[in-house]
Amino acid sequence: MTASTASDVLLDVDGVVAGFGPTTVLHGVTFAVRKGEVAGIFGLNGAGKSVTMKVLAGTVPARDGAVRFDGVDLMKVPAEERVSLGMAHVPQGRQVFGALTVEENLRLGAYTLRKRDRARYASVLDGLYDRFPILAERRTQIAGTMSGGQQAALAVARALVADPKPILVDEPSAGLSPMAVQELFVTLRAVADSGVTMVLVEQNVTFGLKVVDTVNVLQTGVVVMTSPVGELDADEMAKALGIGRLLHQGVSAVVGSRAVAVDEVEPRPAKRATTRSTGATKTTAKKAVTKAVTKKAVTKKAAAAATTKTAAKKPAASTKKVTAKKAAAPERAAAKKATKKATKTASKKATNKATKKAATKKATNTRGAA
Amino acid sequence: MVQNLVLGLVYGGIYGLLAVGIVLVYRGSRVLNFAQGEMGTFGLYAAWWLSTEQGLPWIVGAAGAVATATIIGLAFERFIVRPMGDQSRLAVAVATVGLLLFLLALGFRAFGESPRSVAGPIRGSIEVAGVFVSGTQILSLVITAAIGVALAVLLRRTDFGLAVLAAADDPTAVRLVGVPLRRVSAFTWGTGAAISALAVLLIEPTVGVFAPGFASELFVKGLAAALVGGLTSLPGAFVGGLVVGLLEVFVTDATLTSSLPGIPTLSVFALILVVLLARPQGLFGATQTREAA
Amino acid sequence: MDEVMRRRLTLLAVAVAVLALPPVLGRMGLLSSEQGFVLGRGACFAAAALALNMVMGYAGQISLGHFSLLGVGAFTTGIITGADHLALPYVIAIPVSAMAGAAVAFLVGLPALRLRGLYLAIVTIGFAYAMQASVFRARAITGGSGGVEVPRPLINTFQFLRNGDYLAIVLFVLLVVWLVDVNVTRTRLGRAFQAVKASEPVAASFGVDVARHKLLAFVLSGAFAGIAGAMYAPLVGTISASSFTYNLSLVLVIVVVIGGLGSRAGVVAAAFIFAELPELLELFGEGFRGTDQVVGALGLMLAVRNHPGGFAQAMRERREKKAAPVEGSGAGIPQLSALPRPTAASVVPVHGDVLEVSNVTVRFGGITAVDGASLSVPHNTIMGLIGPNGAGKTTLFNVVSGFVTPQDGSVKLLGRDVTTLAPHARAAAGMGRTFQGIGLAKDLTVTENLLLAQHRLAEYSAGEALVGIGRTWAVERTLRERAREAVAALGFERFEETPVRLLSHGQQRIVEIGCVLVTSPELVMLDEPSAGMAPGAAEDLALRLRDIRDELGRTVLLIEHNLPLVLDVCDQLTVLATGRVIASGTVDEVARQADVVDAYLGEAVPA
Repeated sequence: MTASTASDVLLDVDGVVAGFGPTTVLHGVTFAVRKGEVAGIFGLNGAGKSVTMKVLAGTVPARDGAVRFDGVDLMKVPAEERVSLGMAHVPQGRQVFGALTVEENLRLGAYTLRKRDRARYASVLDGLYDRFPILAERRTQIAGTMSGGQQAALAVARALVADPKPILVDEPSAGLSPMAVQELFVTLRAVADSGVTMVLVEQNVTFGLKVVDTVNVLQTGVVVMTSPVGELDADEMAKALGIGRLLHQGVSAVVGSRAVAVDEVEPRPAKRATTRSTGATKTTAKKAVTKAVTKKAVTKKAAAAATTKTAAKKPAASTKKVTAKKAAAPERAAAKKATKKATKTASKKATNKATKKAATKKATNTRGAA
Repeated sequence: MVQNLVLGLVYGGIYGLLAVGIVLVYRGSRVLNFAQGEMGTFGLYAAWWLSTEQGLPWIVGAAGAVATATIIGLAFERFIVRPMGDQSRLAVAVATVGLLLFLLALGFRAFGESPRSVAGPIRGSIEVAGVFVSGTQILSLVITAAIGVALAVLLRRTDFGLAVLAAADDPTAVRLVGVPLRRVSAFTWGTGAAISALAVLLIEPTVGVFAPGFASELFVKGLAAALVGGLTSLPGAFVGGLVVGLLEVFVTDATLTSSLPGIPTLSVFALILVVLLARPQGLFGATQTREAA
Repeated sequence: MDEVMRRRLTLLAVAVAVLALPPVLGRMGLLSSEQGFVLGRGACFAAAALALNMVMGYAGQISLGHFSLLGVGAFTTGIITGADHLALPYVIAIPVSAMAGAAVAFLVGLPALRLRGLYLAIVTIGFAYAMQASVFRARAITGGSGGVEVPRPLINTFQFLRNGDYLAIVLFVLLVVWLVDVNVTRTRLGRAFQAVKASEPVAASFGVDVARHKLLAFVLSGAFAGIAGAMYAPLVGTISASSFTYNLSLVLVIVVVIGGLGSRAGVVAAAFIFAELPELLELFGEGFRGTDQVVGALGLMLAVRNHPGGFAQAMRERREKKAAPVEGSGAGIPQLSALPRPTAASVVPVHGDVLEVSNVTVRFGGITAVDGASLSVPHNTIMGLIGPNGAGKTTLFNVVSGFVTPQDGSVKLLGRDVTTLAPHARAAAGMGRTFQGIGLAKDLTVTENLLLAQHRLAEYSAGEALVGIGRTWAVERTLRERAREAVAALGFERFEETPVRLLSHGQQRIVEIGCVLVTSPELVMLDEPSAGMAPGAAEDLALRLRDIRDELGRTVLLIEHNLPLVLDVCDQLTVLATGRVIASGTVDEVARQADVVDAYLGEAVPA
């Protein structure tokens, strides 16, 4: 469990019990979200992720426990007023207003803002159109006719229009094509980097881990694990998710590629570059260092391209998120493959490609390293 | 033939107005208001009392009609619909049945069965291309168009209006952007009632006399119009109104000498059946047929 | 004296009282002519209320034009007994009016097959208007707007002109209607109606032919209403189109809703009160004359607002609150301690597997939910259907159980092609399934649900059930015994008479599994059975699943997200992702496949 100083905790969820009718889905959920960070909530279907989100949004009441936002007790605040407090919500399934145009959707998103300060709305809107060129092009398009990925962008923009802190995003990748998921990743990362606090609920572990700073895992209505993404343990993660031996190995691969070691700033010794890491032990997995692109990402062009994009766009904000390192530490990436399968098929490719990348990205690395 | 067209247009406009009221309330609360027409009848009685009994100008009577109906609509929304927030939409619809009966019975009790009338604001009629159109009929066409335009502007151009439009799609998401749903609900009920009052008031001179229950048969036709257009479409309501109006007028003409009475009503009923069975979303409604309850 | 004997004697006593008292009291001057009339009218409304209750309270349909059906019965009686018409005895008028009412109700019920809730309500209103404005005014049928004169019944030379005398007849007919209603609720008919009202898919999964029962509810209701009309017409003497206006249908809705949907006694009481209401109100003063409908309507609005289920439900809720709180709600883990005894030995398919799904494709709008999926479940195995959210598992499940029609592909159960069979027919063929949202009639008790689950084993006809003759009660006794055994096997004796909705989620799930097993289907399909269960209960579930396979010799197909459970208990796995089967085989074989991992963790499945 990570310690959090009271002052920088924005959202404090404490022992929340909630459910529908006779069913109790959440049996005491506790986690905290700090200012400026992206908190992730993961869990298999039925673990209680969306109920947690709904409690935060105010559409499902909590039967016990407390939810505090910047010190304010949210239990007394109905859903429609939480927006004026600053909470914005991108609901599951996006739920854009299908019959209205993009601009009208954004206008509605700014309902409370426009009441307070109409002039500011204009500048906020312009800023959003800059950040989301896809939406700028489709200002007058009916929202219901846009693709899933575009609707996702609209849903996020609509939430951002209210200048929120925090923004709650509920399973945004659900039902999106891989391309759209990529776009979404770019969008969310950009939002996070601009300093907006975000709570992200995701079933898609691979996608989610790329975006968040802190990982909370829900299982049957209780948070069973909380960890900064850098200290993530593949074993624990697999157990926390409750996916048993079937997927344990797969989780290790994903976790290994994402977690950041304590001493990441120090470059890893190059000797690891040639480690085949076949039959790599769990200990190796634990020492996973980088948020390097996984072997899958390396073998897939699209993902690689995105990494390049993010590497270019991302400011060197936090030490943990130096994406440049992704490309720059192929050796570590190869070493972190804790699964046979991962390495068998791709280790060779990974080392080769990664080495090439290392050569080209050296410059970026030196610039980006914090 | 052209006379029939004009008459169909006039009736169609009125049915369209009633349909608009029905659609508004449906979009705002997902409830079918069975008392939609009768709220208008009550307004009509207010107008009667003000202009015929008290001799005040028609416009005062009209204002009274609109005010009375609006109050009824708002009161019902506040005291019955809103407390029933979580209940099934069908239960609320049953409550509107109660309202209908309440208004009918109250009307009978207070005013008796005897027919009354309210004179239209513009006497006399003019002849246009061999067709007689009364002043009131022209006025009703004008007002129908005006209301249509006003609604379009209000709903699409203002923030609140957008929220009303969005509330039908997704009431939860509307709450999540911070719009108070109860205000949307109150608006739709109040406005729906006001529009009904106008519709009933404008058609009365053409029909001639009225008694309690006057608007109930109008309501069924307004309902048919709303269904044809699609229960969630406002422009569809006007189109549906035209369809029903023209159908009724032409069927009446064709079956004047039949031995079976009430064929126009039968034809409207048949239209309802056909629409619901063949294309429940009407001409312009959303394809997701969300059933009440 | 045993129960049955006592019941028969009570019935006899009531019948005698009903036939004898009113005429006697009338002649003694204790029952005025006017009071007799009012009570008679109350009885007619009561019969009509029972009719509407059948459709709205039992079957959950909606009808806002029911008084028109009464009108049909009334005019039919007019034609049969009227001096200008057929002038036949009254005794004939009753069944003929019933049939007329039933026939028209059948027509009204047809749209009910396709429409629900709001849309059905609209159709019934349209119907009421059409009748009032057109059919009831037709000269040929009803003598035009002038009305029809309906004489009082005549036996030899005695005519029941006194209200007191006629009241006896009316009350007697009401008694008969009441008894038939009792038979409906005590047999599979009433349970089937309630199931349809609760959830049509759940009803179908228990073998109830939903369409047929919806129509049956309307037809029976129409018969009742027709009889009510036959009672009403001679009472008032003259009837015309304006006797059966639209608002009278609404009054009937008020009566049924206030009295309590689904409560026989409630609606009858409400009907009598409403009939008496004008008189009662006048006690408050002259000014209140004619305000009965106003008061009633106000009452309806408030009643619906506060108690959508009417007073019967309000009282039921108060009773339930007073009763001890349900044990195990929260504390303790509900256990599925044993299984109900099978009703028949398992059938081993001669050729092939118990279930064969071939190349099923399902498209909704532009989305392909299931894409060429095939799976086979061998006899006596437990097959797990797994995959990430949105993979199409539930859709495939629905195709197998008959709730979704595939664009392509076939489903074979025990070698027989069931692809085009309706869900209730598949249930009869040996398929049982559970639902994610708990497939039970939540308002019924545990026992009633177990009886409902045995619907297809209730081998008596509807006719036998209505009259209560033949095998009806013997079969019912067998079903009850089996239900009692099942309850004992589940260890839920203390919940026998508890409405299911009062149980915790885990307990409901156990009852549901018990219901599925009580008819021993060959293929047991479970949709996320462990969802919402505490971990300990899930382990118990695993044991029971193995029992189903080993002790009962059945075959299981289950959808699950609880992977440890799946890996523990399944013999074989089929993995679905984005609508396609990406892996199938034994658990070990599947666990090794890379794409399975990918699918769960969220990478796109390689094309």
